[in-house]
Amino acid sequence: MAHTKNQQPASPFMPMFEAFRTELDEHHDRRERIVKASRDITAASKKMVRTLGTALPHFVEKSNAQYWKTIETQFQSISSDVQGLNAYRYPQLTWGNQEFMEALSFQHYLETQTLISYDDSKARVAALCGDQPTVPLTPEDYVLGIYDMIGELMRFSITAMATTGKLPAASPKRSQADEASTDKMDVDEQSTGPPRNVLDDLRDIRLRLEMFEPSQGSKFAHDAEKKGEVMRECVNKVENALYSLTVRGKERPKGWSPDVREDRRTEVQSY
Amino acid sequence: MAAQSGMVDPAIFQDLQARTDEDTAVRDELKEFVQTLEKQTRNILFVLSRAHSTPAAKLHEVLKAAESPIDDAVATVSKLSDAASKVPYYKFNQMWSRQMQDLVFTILFWGWLGGKNEGGEIKNGRLLTIEELGQLLKIPVNLKDRDAFHLTIEEYLHALISLVEELARLARNSVTLGDYARPLLINQFVKDLLAGFQILNLKNDALRRRSDGLKYKVKDVEDVVYDLSLRNLVPKKEETMQE
Repeated sequence: MAHTKNQQPASPFMPMFEAFRTELDEHHDRRERIVKASRDITAASKKMVRTLGTALPHFVEKSNAQYWKTIETQFQSISSDVQGLNAYRYPQLTWGNQEFMEALSFQHYLETQTLISYDDSKARVAALCGDQPTVPLTPEDYVLGIYDMIGELMRFSITAMATTGKLPAASPKRSQADEASTDKMDVDEQSTGPPRNVLDDLRDIRLRLEMFEPSQGSKFAHDAEKKGEVMRECVNKVENALYSLTVRGKERPKGWSPDVREDRRTEVQSY
Repeated sequence: MAAQSGMVDPAIFQDLQARTDEDTAVRDELKEFVQTLEKQTRNILFVLSRAHSTPAAKLHEVLKAAESPIDDAVATVSKLSDAASKVPYYKFNQMWSRQMQDLVFTILFWGWLGGKNEGGEIKNGRLLTIEELGQLLKIPVNLKDRDAFHLTIEEYLHALISLVEELARLARNSVTLGDYARPLLINQFVKDLLAGFQILNLKNDALRRRSDGLKYKVKDVEDVVYDLSLRNLVPKKEETMQE
């Protein structure tokens, strides 16, 4: 159309763009590796959580070993991609980290009836990375993972109430045991001392999370608010279930389960 | 753990809150620089937009007038760079990335119009490289080996797209000013840039979406050239003497 008498010589900017292409390709390759690892960590963590929910200690340990292995492999595979300048470059890393935090904190709770600390969580990731430099686990990853873990605690509580007719509770002695790893919470156990049950714990952690204040206007604040809603619903469900249990507990027919709507479940999981 | 009555050790969240508050403080400090930068970039653009209505003979006045607001912005970039280099770059970079793109665009436009030609005649058509921009802004570019403030390739590419958009506008306005040679120059320039963008493997992100629009801008310029050639208004090539 336009008259082009001088037939186009190659663009003088080509060398520059070729250099950019190399750089961008490196960046995209790195990102793809991280996305893949993040997805694999997510999948393995979800499976871990599902097995943990069955509350069959031996089965749990055996079948979760493979998922730990997967997570270990994936963390190590991307370790060098998320160091130095690139530590915060790939937000996709947070998917896997959050999901891992959910599984880790859920398992930790079932074993010790306490919330795993941020520092301990970082140490666990560092241990999984072996002799590689550790994959960064941010406070955001940690907190958002804890929000998700509450959904699991909710399901755990409801299941326990449905099958045993009471809330799982731990005696204080047990919760302080150092050999906690073999000390799985037993839903059938009679609580002895002052009763600290799952609902007490849920309320405790809900309070901490509600008091927690992320940077205003940050993505973290946005995510935390969304997850906060789901978290409150989860705690409410357990409270409501306990109410039903208390009111109608005595006349509970065989096979009865607490009256909770599970329609929100997909939403909880999708976070 | 003995002091802890419930499930949660209060120290956990005290520690997290302290870390988060630190981030908030950093964010607040950086935000100030970024907002200043935004204002100063608008000042540069305000001056440079006169290029659309200024004949080539008087362009040097516009370019001269842009120098002081550019200096202001460079000073702010230095402050931003100092503050931001203390924290992980990619943790906060989304706070200023857009503003840096806009600033770089205005300087690219200034450079294209001939702003960087020290002395001598004003000549259009120069592309400032990312390295030259780094020198002008006194910041490193495309850092890979250390974590500090810098200009990224992506930011530079975004600015290039803005430059093409601005030049497409300038092509028409040049004709209005009676300058029939400049659209040809722009035509070649934006085509060369488009050719460059076409060899990049862009993923599905903002850069990809914007660069997809480049061809329409190039076509806009082609249309101007077409209109001119149709009416025999295209000046003869430089090699041949003008009649």
